[in-house]
Amino acid sequence: MQVKEVMSKDVITVKCSTRLEELLKKFNKFHIFPLVPVIEEDGRLVGIVSFRNLISVFQPPYPEILKTIPFLDEGEEDIFKAGLTQDLGNLVVVDDIMETKFISIQEGDSLEEAYKLMKLHLKEEFPVVDRDNKLVGMIGIFDIIQEIFHQKGVI
Amino acid sequence: MNTILGLGFILLAGLFSGRLINKIRFPAVTAYLLLGLFIGPSLLRLVPAEVLGVSGLISNIVLGMIAFGIGYNFSKDNFRKIGKSVIWISVLEACGAWALVTLVFLFILGQPFYVSLLFGAIASATAPAATVMVIRESRAKGTFTDTLLGVVAIDDAWCLIIFAISLAISKAIFIHNVAAISLIRVLLNSLLSIFGAFILGAISAILLSYLSKFVRTPAELLIFTLGFILLNTGIAIRIHLSVLLANMFLGAILVNINYSSFKFFDSLKTIDSPLFLLFFVLAGASLEIQILSKLGMIGLAYLIVRITGKLIGAHLGARISNAVDSVRKYLGLGLVPQAGVALGCALIAKSDFPGVGNMILTTIVATTIVYEVIGPVCTKLALKKAGEITA
Repeated sequence: MQVKEVMSKDVITVKCSTRLEELLKKFNKFHIFPLVPVIEEDGRLVGIVSFRNLISVFQPPYPEILKTIPFLDEGEEDIFKAGLTQDLGNLVVVDDIMETKFISIQEGDSLEEAYKLMKLHLKEEFPVVDRDNKLVGMIGIFDIIQEIFHQKGVI
Repeated sequence: MNTILGLGFILLAGLFSGRLINKIRFPAVTAYLLLGLFIGPSLLRLVPAEVLGVSGLISNIVLGMIAFGIGYNFSKDNFRKIGKSVIWISVLEACGAWALVTLVFLFILGQPFYVSLLFGAIASATAPAATVMVIRESRAKGTFTDTLLGVVAIDDAWCLIIFAISLAISKAIFIHNVAAISLIRVLLNSLLSIFGAFILGAISAILLSYLSKFVRTPAELLIFTLGFILLNTGIAIRIHLSVLLANMFLGAILVNINYSSFKFFDSLKTIDSPLFLLFFVLAGASLEIQILSKLGMIGLAYLIVRITGKLIGAHLGARISNAVDSVRKYLGLGLVPQAGVALGCALIAKSDFPGVGNMILTTIVATTIVYEVIGPVCTKLALKKAGEITA
């Protein structure tokens, strides 16, 4: 069975220019902050935002190039004592915090492949794209488990 | 003390001394080096001979991992982002330190050419970790900060290339005797060694990328990645190629041929900390205090000339690339710290040149301690002068 047969097609997305305030408002009714796909005007997937990226708001920004630097003392940012300014919600946009290196899955891939990737990367969901890298849905581990239960007649 | 006890002691003592020194705003690396120095054979003699015996093994593994990580920066994407200022400044500050230290050691201190060349090559390295720590703490931001971060991130890659060329030339001179060989042959040999490392790195990267489809769990991914780095390192040692370059090319080629290559680099991050700690403590332990007293002039010259070379090179690079005024004036000052890559190169020099290697390593360990203390102060001063400190 292919990913596109099981994935959720109704996905909440944001744009690179979405302000932090808008992003937080969008999800303030959620129990947890989900994995949010970031798309361009034409629907191309360019990044993802997770709760980890929200934590990066508390840290001074530095370029992606530094992520591979050896011996970097991991900054212990105390989020309770961080000096955030009130206009931060308007100053920070999704582009500043989103992850640009991430795993996405093709809509034609098999469920087995999706599950294997989830196990390998310790992730519970992936954005799903078509051949042109346009976002077409999201697939989560729960979608896969539900499908197996369904096939086995449990539900 | 047996080997296991020794390693356990080093890890725990390293952890707590690192935390302690962080409190007074110095990088943990300084604590590891000082710890090594205190418990090493020169002072308290707490490190068992068996542990010192495995330091070569640990260094090679760590250096392989460091070089692999440095290669990761060579993605097309990164090169598009960092811009010409960073490229010009990083190349010229690295070459500036290389050339100036080599010339001063050769003509003023009267050191043999191959020793001067090795000192020059090691001088080209910087220590991004210390710089990043200062930038984080002072919450600096702006054009100067961005340029400085870009330069320190890419500088060590140039250092690895410079060191590989210098090492090949130095070896040729040292082994074959300077008068007996022509300069062209030496250069050809070093180019061949670089090309060989590139081919080895490329083959390993292609194999790693292809075989990764069989990897199923994060644990397997870590074993797989580490296995390839060790394989690449081992083959490089076996066929006399540069370990550093072979692994740097492995990382650089992998990042450009595999869309999800970041997973290999991320998986290594889960085990690198204890290995890096051991690497620094053992490097500190290899400092020979009895040699230190004889090194006064060499150490002092290295300290001053390296910084001068970096200042001149950075200034030239900034002028050529039309960088802003603050970058032209103060960027060199932000490049003072020296740590892991320089120590790694010195350790290689020690194993390849048994006679002068001890002198090179002791000089680099001692100057690293000094640079790690004054480096952050200089970086902060540079950021302040550039007017980019916000906290």
